[in-house]
Amino acid sequence: MKRLSTNLFLILISLVGSDAGEISSDMLFAHKILPMFKAKCLACHGEDPKKIKGDFDMRTYSGLLRGGESEEPSVVPGKPLRSPLYMAVKRDHEDQWEPMPPKENDKLSTEQTDHIRNWIEGGAPWPGPERLSKLLKEKDPWSAEGSVRVKTSGGLSEAWTNRKYEESKLWAYQPISKPNLRTNDHPVDALIRARSPEGLSIALSAEALTLIRRVTFDLTGLPPKPREVQAFKIAWEKDKDRAWEDLIDQLLLSPHYGEQMARHWLDVVRYADSAGFSNDYPRPHAWRYRDYVVRSFNNDKPYDQFVREQIAGDEIKPEDPDHIIATGFLRMGPWEHTAMSVKAVTRQQYLDDVVNSVGVTFLANELRCAKCHDHKFDPIPTRDYYRMQAIFAPVTFSERKLPWQDFENRIGIKKDHERYQRLIKEKGIRSITSLPEADRPVSQFDKESERAGHSKVNNKRRQQLNYQLKRANPSVFSVINGAPDKIHILKGGSIESPQGEVSPGVLSLFEGSEELVSLTNNKNGRRKELAKWITSKNNPLTARVIVNRIWQWHFGQGLAGNPNNFGGTGKLPTHPELLDWLAATLIESGWSVKKIHRYILTSATYQRSASHPDPRALARLDPENISYASFKPRKLTAEELRDSMLAVSGELNLVLGGIPSHPEINEEVAMQPRHIMGSVGPAYQADPLPSQRNRRTLYAERIRTLADPMLEVFNKPGPDLSCERRETATIAPQAFTMLNSPIIRSRALAFAARLQKERPGNINEQVRRAFRLTYHRMPHDSEMKMSLEYLANSKKEHEANQQERVELPKYVVRQMVEEMTGQAFWWVEDLDIYAGPDYVPDLKPWDVGSDTRALGDLCLVLFNSNEFIYIY
Amino acid sequence: MYRREFLYGVNGGLGALAFHSMLRAEEKIGPLASKVAHFPKAKAKRCIFLYMAGGPSHIDTFDPKPKLKELHLKKFKRQSKFLSAMGSGERYYVQSPFNFVRAGKSGIEMCEHWQHLAGVADELCVYRGCKAESINHPTANYHMNTGNRFGGDPAIGSWVTYGLGTENQNLPGYVVLPEVAYPQGGAANWSNGFLPPHFQGTTLRSKGSPILDLHPPKGVTREAQRSDLDLLAGLNSMHAKRHPSHEELASRMQSYELAYRMQMEVPEILDLGKEKQSTRESYGLDDQRTEEFGRRLLLARRLLENGVRFVQVYTAGWDSHDYINRSHRERIRSVDKPIATLIKDLKDRGLLDETLIVWCGEFGRTPDNGKRGGGERLGRDHNKNAMAVWMAGGGVNAGHVVGATDEIGESAAEVVHPIRDLHVTILRLLGLDDNKLTYFHGGRFKQLSQTGGEFISELMG
Repeated sequence: MKRLSTNLFLILISLVGSDAGEISSDMLFAHKILPMFKAKCLACHGEDPKKIKGDFDMRTYSGLLRGGESEEPSVVPGKPLRSPLYMAVKRDHEDQWEPMPPKENDKLSTEQTDHIRNWIEGGAPWPGPERLSKLLKEKDPWSAEGSVRVKTSGGLSEAWTNRKYEESKLWAYQPISKPNLRTNDHPVDALIRARSPEGLSIALSAEALTLIRRVTFDLTGLPPKPREVQAFKIAWEKDKDRAWEDLIDQLLLSPHYGEQMARHWLDVVRYADSAGFSNDYPRPHAWRYRDYVVRSFNNDKPYDQFVREQIAGDEIKPEDPDHIIATGFLRMGPWEHTAMSVKAVTRQQYLDDVVNSVGVTFLANELRCAKCHDHKFDPIPTRDYYRMQAIFAPVTFSERKLPWQDFENRIGIKKDHERYQRLIKEKGIRSITSLPEADRPVSQFDKESERAGHSKVNNKRRQQLNYQLKRANPSVFSVINGAPDKIHILKGGSIESPQGEVSPGVLSLFEGSEELVSLTNNKNGRRKELAKWITSKNNPLTARVIVNRIWQWHFGQGLAGNPNNFGGTGKLPTHPELLDWLAATLIESGWSVKKIHRYILTSATYQRSASHPDPRALARLDPENISYASFKPRKLTAEELRDSMLAVSGELNLVLGGIPSHPEINEEVAMQPRHIMGSVGPAYQADPLPSQRNRRTLYAERIRTLADPMLEVFNKPGPDLSCERRETATIAPQAFTMLNSPIIRSRALAFAARLQKERPGNINEQVRRAFRLTYHRMPHDSEMKMSLEYLANSKKEHEANQQERVELPKYVVRQMVEEMTGQAFWWVEDLDIYAGPDYVPDLKPWDVGSDTRALGDLCLVLFNSNEFIYIY
Repeated sequence: MYRREFLYGVNGGLGALAFHSMLRAEEKIGPLASKVAHFPKAKAKRCIFLYMAGGPSHIDTFDPKPKLKELHLKKFKRQSKFLSAMGSGERYYVQSPFNFVRAGKSGIEMCEHWQHLAGVADELCVYRGCKAESINHPTANYHMNTGNRFGGDPAIGSWVTYGLGTENQNLPGYVVLPEVAYPQGGAANWSNGFLPPHFQGTTLRSKGSPILDLHPPKGVTREAQRSDLDLLAGLNSMHAKRHPSHEELASRMQSYELAYRMQMEVPEILDLGKEKQSTRESYGLDDQRTEEFGRRLLLARRLLENGVRFVQVYTAGWDSHDYINRSHRERIRSVDKPIATLIKDLKDRGLLDETLIVWCGEFGRTPDNGKRGGGERLGRDHNKNAMAVWMAGGGVNAGHVVGATDEIGESAAEVVHPIRDLHVTILRLLGLDDNKLTYFHGGRFKQLSQTGGEFISELMG
């Protein structure tokens, strides 16, 4: 660690030399043309001598003059318009010269094509290596454009090493600079205002109800309770600022705060309870990591510590349970090794995954981009990528023993275990001949296929159950260090082309040389040093990355628009001073995330109304929506929507943490067979008790190959790619789900039953209460009138039409093709929970009278309405 | 632009028109609006992708290897240093149990069990030069479907719909017809990945509700639903008056009306009872062996006719590690007649020229096998270096065999291309330029081929 300096500075190389007079063509070549060739052309025209496209090799002058398949020289010195190279990059002679580079988005800028023209006009010189080297060190006329070099451990080529960057695109690697504010204004407001378009008016502050709804959802993912709204309104009348600050403090202390932040965090780290791919085996202890995240946010664990624990908790403080549990992060990606995979391939897959995940999560850099070649846009050489990989070379998967902790929710583990113990003793699957004849899918089938097929299916079933049985053993989804793999730079990212071996190191762009960024080569301690480097207060990325995410969690958009990508291709920050002010403040406050929330939420910017006084001026002056002149409304996320319905219906079980819960999901999908290796995956059954099913969505089991369609349709991201920002699009299947799903309809019915229980016998009161719980206000007269008319009609309708009783299936019949015979076979999979005595169904339409059903319909309409689903 | 961003687009003003004229109405706005192709002269306007999950053996379908007869059950040694558990141990050459015939005027070779397909052999362009990169089912499935072995990226159908839009705004542009059981890797095989959700593959299920929750539970009448929607519209319009500048509200309101219309229209298209008995029989609906796949192919044709852009049909069970004789024969029989009928049917309707048909699995199979069961259970393992692919219809080089494998079928040897080039070629046949069909995500403009690929010109007619 000695050599690793914690003062991280981006090494920008200033260029000294003679005054540039007229730009010579060889200067142009050295500084502009050759780097452009390398960046834009050589991937296909020389980098891989075995695969040269169009037989055109641009590595040398002679290759350039020889040309390609057309057998014409690509460059005619002095004559750009007769030079195919120039015609191809201009892209306007498609009939004769195919446009180059082929990808439209890679096309050269006019400035670049002008450089090529000028260079050809100037005789197209291609100076030798010595001259080239000298030219590159000379001050060039373009350095005034902010074009700078960055010193790194060095690229695979000299040209990459000497390449230049637009300084503005290196913003994220520059030291954080906290702006000096000479105002008594709230710093957030001052820094937002500083970038506001001239003459744009600003929305008024939102009213109390809007504010409490907005901030309660933002911080807890739940709607406020009517009495909380009432209390806040009263306090707000007395002293607005005081009331607001008290509310924020109270919400930050709520245990549900950690749940909401964990929901955000798990999107980034790709949390799931299964491993994905062929078998999609359960990860029976992943939940301990999920709860660790909730706990960490609730305890306001300093963010730097949170980062260090996830990267290297086992090396830093192995005696502390949370330090071990945290390392589950290192295994969050989908991963599998089977008899059909090649060990070296799946190991490489893991190493690639973990390096990129660390880069994206903590540094907002897609390090994967440097896997096959030096990074095309950022100063990250391939060498650094594999040096980062060497840090993880000792990582070995481990299900360490670790007793359950007092702070962990152990409810249900025993019952769960008993169930699987029972199941593994049972035969499990049976022949369709055990069904009454009328229920069999076929009357005749090939017996040999059945025998062979059942044996495979049974084996697979046992394997799956064995994973489930592990859940009761207190162990952790974690890592230990083993004998480190030797890490080589892999040419083209291929394990079949290893090049030089590398030792552990971090991104060299901050320190310049390879030596300064080297880490220990011991088996132990590599990750600890990486973690220390990432959380050094001088690392400008880490703090910026997290405050940017927090900002997005409150405003729906980051200050820098790509929270997972702070590199040159990511969006530039709209308010760089504010981003730096928040980042510096985070560090000064001892990395307290809650302090950052408090700063953001107490700003006038956050409290603005969603109605802008002059929407036209807003659209004209702020088309990109970066002025924050009014608050941008948002839709509830998938989880917030489900949790809100459960909260309003009174069914929500608010207990924290524990083994995954199994809510009801669309029954067709639950029973949907999914091919796994040699079998189909087990049917999904909901938990037997409503209190188990109706927990917060965060705790619902996430099976990679079985998404809950209700959540998916409301844009919950898949768990295979890190999600920096959720989609918010409205699509028609959302309406199908919200109107027709028996599960949503059950929530509405339970809501109706609650209203009848709380306001017995008085329909007007029931309607009022319904509005109060969903909209946090009383119905207007016209709404009241519409609702009552609707109820009367609906009741008549329900008296005339009974809803058919639907029972849950007690078994499913599966079919597969037996691969040895090519013929189909069938089996019966029993659904032990639905067939068993413990299952307690939700309230169903056939359980209640037409009054309740009619009221349930009204509740369903309220759930579907825009006022329920949008936050202003 | 939130106003019209939702799946299946929206055409609020068209409710009164007859359904079929609605199909042809060119919707000019919205993410699924029909778009002009990069190569407007391309013949293929839509695609049907027949996915044989498990990895059909090229050696036993479209790529005869007489040399294996000589080598049958002689010892085989593999060279690669990267081996899976499956690929190691003592191994033996295995000949194909099938005879091959030369079919049609073009004399394309195929195994004897393609009895019906042989009748339309001259419509096929068989490609023997494709190489996969993965020998694991889910990663290879992801690769063939999304260009990325590790999943998470958009499927080819999503890319095509993103590039071309669709012709019927009341149906999804990209429809997937899976078997009852999903293939390995699951729904990520037809995911929209990082593309907006409008481009996700929508599964039309062969059993139960074709689209999840398309209909309310039994006993809820259409009148009741209408009055729900009327109350909803009433509450929503009062709400919209209080939030006049909030643009999303209108589109969310319209999505409910669209959903209400779709409840009527989708079942109509799915109703195969509307087809003639002779048509149903020609797709094999009267035979238990072909019924399941035939039903989905017939549905695929109806969807294409109704303006769906991309339909993918899955059928599994091609993973014949043992007893390839029986298992491949059965698999071929289950798809042979329906596929041949589909080709003829499209031709009769004048749609074949505009429809690209692609047939393939995720990889091919090895010329050798471990000696399991004492050598009696002859089968083949996974092979990423060669595979069976054919195309038909829209713009392909029909009646030709392109490329070749080595003499034992171990590896592609002529006109060799990776899957990404096959992707580029499929896009090109549909008028799309992989290099222009890009989407900015994760710091760069991404494309189906991942980093660019080559057009396999030999496959185009």
